[in-house]
Amino acid sequence: MKKIVKLLEKVQLSIGVIMLSIFFLAVIIQVATRYLGVSVIWTGEVANYSFIWSIFMGTAVMINRKEHFKFDLLYKKLTGKMRSSLSIFNDSILFLFSLAILFYGVAATDNFWNYNWVSLPFMKMGYVWLSVPVMGLTMMIYLASHIIYDMKGFNREEANK
Amino acid sequence: ACGNEESGEESNSEDGNQGTSANEEESIKIVAAHNQTSPENPYQDGLLEFKEVAESKSNGSIEVEVHAGTLGTSESELVESLQLGGADVVLVSPGFMSSTGIREIDLFALPYLFESYEHWEEAVDGEVGDEIANIILEESDNKFKLMGYWSAGVRHYYGKEPIQSIDDLQGMTIRTQTSGVVADFWQQVGAVPTDVAWGELYQALQQNVVDSAENAYPYFVQENHHQTDNGKYTSETAHDFTTRFLLINNEKFESYSEEQQNIVLEAAAASVEAERQALYDQEEESKQTLLDDGAEVNEIDTAPFIDIAVPLQDEVAEEIGVAHLLEQIREQR
Amino acid sequence: MGGILIATFIILMFIGVPIAFVIGIVSFIGIFNIPYIPEVTVPVSMLNGLNSFVLLAVPLFILTANIMNSGEISQKLIDFALSIVGHIRGGLAHANILVSMMFAGVSGASQADTAGVGKVLIPNMKKQGYDTKTAVALTAASSTIGVIIPPSIPMIIFAGLTNVSVGALFLAGLIPGVAIGLGMMIFVFILSIKRGYPKNQRASLKKFLKLFLESIPALLTPVILIGGIITGIFTATEAAAFASIYTLLICMFIYKTLKIRDLYGILVDTLTLSSLSLFALAAASALGELMSYYQLSLIAGEFFTNNISSKWIFIIIVILFFLFIGTFMDAIPAMILFIPVILPIALQFGIDPVLLGMVTIISLAIGLVTPPYGLCLLLAAKIGNLSIEKSFTAVVPYILIVLIVLTLVVLFPDVMLFAK
Ligand code: NA
Ligand code: NA
Repeated sequence: MKKIVKLLEKVQLSIGVIMLSIFFLAVIIQVATRYLGVSVIWTGEVANYSFIWSIFMGTAVMINRKEHFKFDLLYKKLTGKMRSSLSIFNDSILFLFSLAILFYGVAATDNFWNYNWVSLPFMKMGYVWLSVPVMGLTMMIYLASHIIYDMKGFNREEANK
Repeated sequence: ACGNEESGEESNSEDGNQGTSANEEESIKIVAAHNQTSPENPYQDGLLEFKEVAESKSNGSIEVEVHAGTLGTSESELVESLQLGGADVVLVSPGFMSSTGIREIDLFALPYLFESYEHWEEAVDGEVGDEIANIILEESDNKFKLMGYWSAGVRHYYGKEPIQSIDDLQGMTIRTQTSGVVADFWQQVGAVPTDVAWGELYQALQQNVVDSAENAYPYFVQENHHQTDNGKYTSETAHDFTTRFLLINNEKFESYSEEQQNIVLEAAAASVEAERQALYDQEEESKQTLLDDGAEVNEIDTAPFIDIAVPLQDEVAEEIGVAHLLEQIREQR
Repeated sequence: MGGILIATFIILMFIGVPIAFVIGIVSFIGIFNIPYIPEVTVPVSMLNGLNSFVLLAVPLFILTANIMNSGEISQKLIDFALSIVGHIRGGLAHANILVSMMFAGVSGASQADTAGVGKVLIPNMKKQGYDTKTAVALTAASSTIGVIIPPSIPMIIFAGLTNVSVGALFLAGLIPGVAIGLGMMIFVFILSIKRGYPKNQRASLKKFLKLFLESIPALLTPVILIGGIITGIFTATEAAAFASIYTLLICMFIYKTLKIRDLYGILVDTLTLSSLSLFALAAASALGELMSYYQLSLIAGEFFTNNISSKWIFIIIVILFFLFIGTFMDAIPAMILFIPVILPIALQFGIDPVLLGMVTIISLAIGLVTPPYGLCLLLAAKIGNLSIEKSFTAVVPYILIVLIVLTLVVLFPDVMLFAK
């Protein structure tokens, strides 16, 4: 499990960085062509959509790294089993949220799959919407691994008593 | 919202729940939205009239909630909401509808398609309008029902010098669409289509970033573009009598009782009247404001512009399969 | 229902669910409760919230700041600032403020300034005998200038929400930003004399010139950027792209402090940092959509027109509101949620949107140093190894300085904001 999660995070981070780079290049091409007086119409959409992919991939990675901003006052006050319980509880809430993102993300992708890009009509909007369920699913995997980890720690403490 | 989320084909049964179990008195709520935040915009007059008529005629069995830009200021968001059921009645322009894959709609984006509001009304309220409505319903898999045609005004050129002939436009940068048939048109006229965000346009005209722009009086006068150095001279090119679609989510519509359906359609017809009247009035008021503020307006012979537009119209209409509609519109002149 | 949502919000936040996700979860619960709106609206408005050309500037500005820190531009600016003000009593403290102002001219965010400058100056100040409290508070407080002196990510977001020109907002930020910097310098000057803070040796003219020449490429950035945006040559996004490439090229070819292989790390940092604030933005868009269905702007509008007659009282309420919101929320989601509600009321009171923008942005900038959720304060406290409580008490005087400038902005908008 640990190995898989680690690999998943690595792959997802790479996808995010690749998308960020595409986004970056598209913006540069847009600026350059504007000053050369040539109009390349697809740069705006390519930049926007790769940006969306990169942000959602980054969001999931940061769930795995537990780096989204939160108040840890209560968490820091607690110790031992109470602390693990709170962790498990919070991760379960996030898990449910991610499940909802996955479920309704699939519904949105399904609904808008055949919409086309304005500048590149052969590209489908589905490729963009897919980023939502992918984020939901990967967050679920990361959170499940956190919950399992905390449960194990929980049992260890139980046994130590 | 339980149960309504799948607005795919399979969800007919779920929506049917509401429809079949509904007795004549079951009350419904309609969320109606446009993308303009200004309360003075004609869109708001139109949707408020829709609300007024629907609520009064139904004795309260229909409730209408009007959103002025609060469900999204971009029209593509409104189309998405309409498809998903987040909004029931929305107002969109042809450009944003065509991203749903209904290409025929681009017909209304053609420059110099109409020569006057009378001509425009005759076309959209007649057979051409009916056929487009059918196309929208069919190609959206029975999701979008068109209830009427609104307008966002007639668009004119405005820039740093009055335009007397096409020659005056050579090399002028103009803020307009930078892709599609509109861009092609301005390019063939000799101008340089340039991308500037609407919110930045006032400064861009003020600071000589673009030489000119094009829009309808109520829109650019409200933003004070006519008081900038590069927005002072309006030349009435009248290149676009704009068309907007008043759409309803057809699955919701079918779930209403027959009486409610009739009331909704009646309200839509009233809203069409109200919106157009408000727009026509505002167009005159805005033009007067512009003149009072010391900006200038000149008329211009549009024949050379039309000569450029016609082949473009033919080409695009052929490509999107509406050549017969284009012919019909031309015959209605 | 509104009460339940607010209670859920507070409880989830208190037990430590990440704030961006609290916003998203509350949106889901709220939509569940409106029978005629489908739940799929939540992820849809999240994605739509990100689908905007102006937002592309956000990761670009974060990228620029990361390049500045990795490529040691920050260090160069610090050295240069020291050569200007180092010989005054409390030299390091003055340099801290001055470098934040320079950094602000290139960067659109504040956290990178706290991190980059704090890492160098907090340990140095401690070494020279400043108390840790002052070092931490000053570093955190001065970096709030980052979002007030242009370019500024919050200004770009505000412009996108209101259709106000980004150029006009940027111009408006110039004088208040500099005024806050000067105000802090005056305060530090008095403090330094009272407490006898040390001064550095005056830099020789030769050394000053050398540092100045070295800093020129970095110092040119704000000139080109701000000039370009205000005259309309650049859009904000283009300016951000330009700044990132420009700083990258300087670091690679002039300072030779960066190599190609450093890029992946910089991109990873940019991605992860951008995701944090932009996912919060996405979630806020969903909650904003929910608030529209609850017709909050109508309700708020009616309340204000019925109960409040003075535009001054309204402005004070807006300031207090954003000071409060800023204690637990980022500027970006706060504006996404509340500007659509506040703007129409402000317009009714005849308040210039540029003034509203500056009032909002300065109030929310204070939130960067107010606990529990003050990112710059958290960061500086971590670097200085000081408790949040102690850091906050030390930062209060600086907050007062910002509030004084804010008052001046409200009273004399024509002078302070170049308003039209
Ligand atoms: Na800045
Ligand atoms: Na705060």
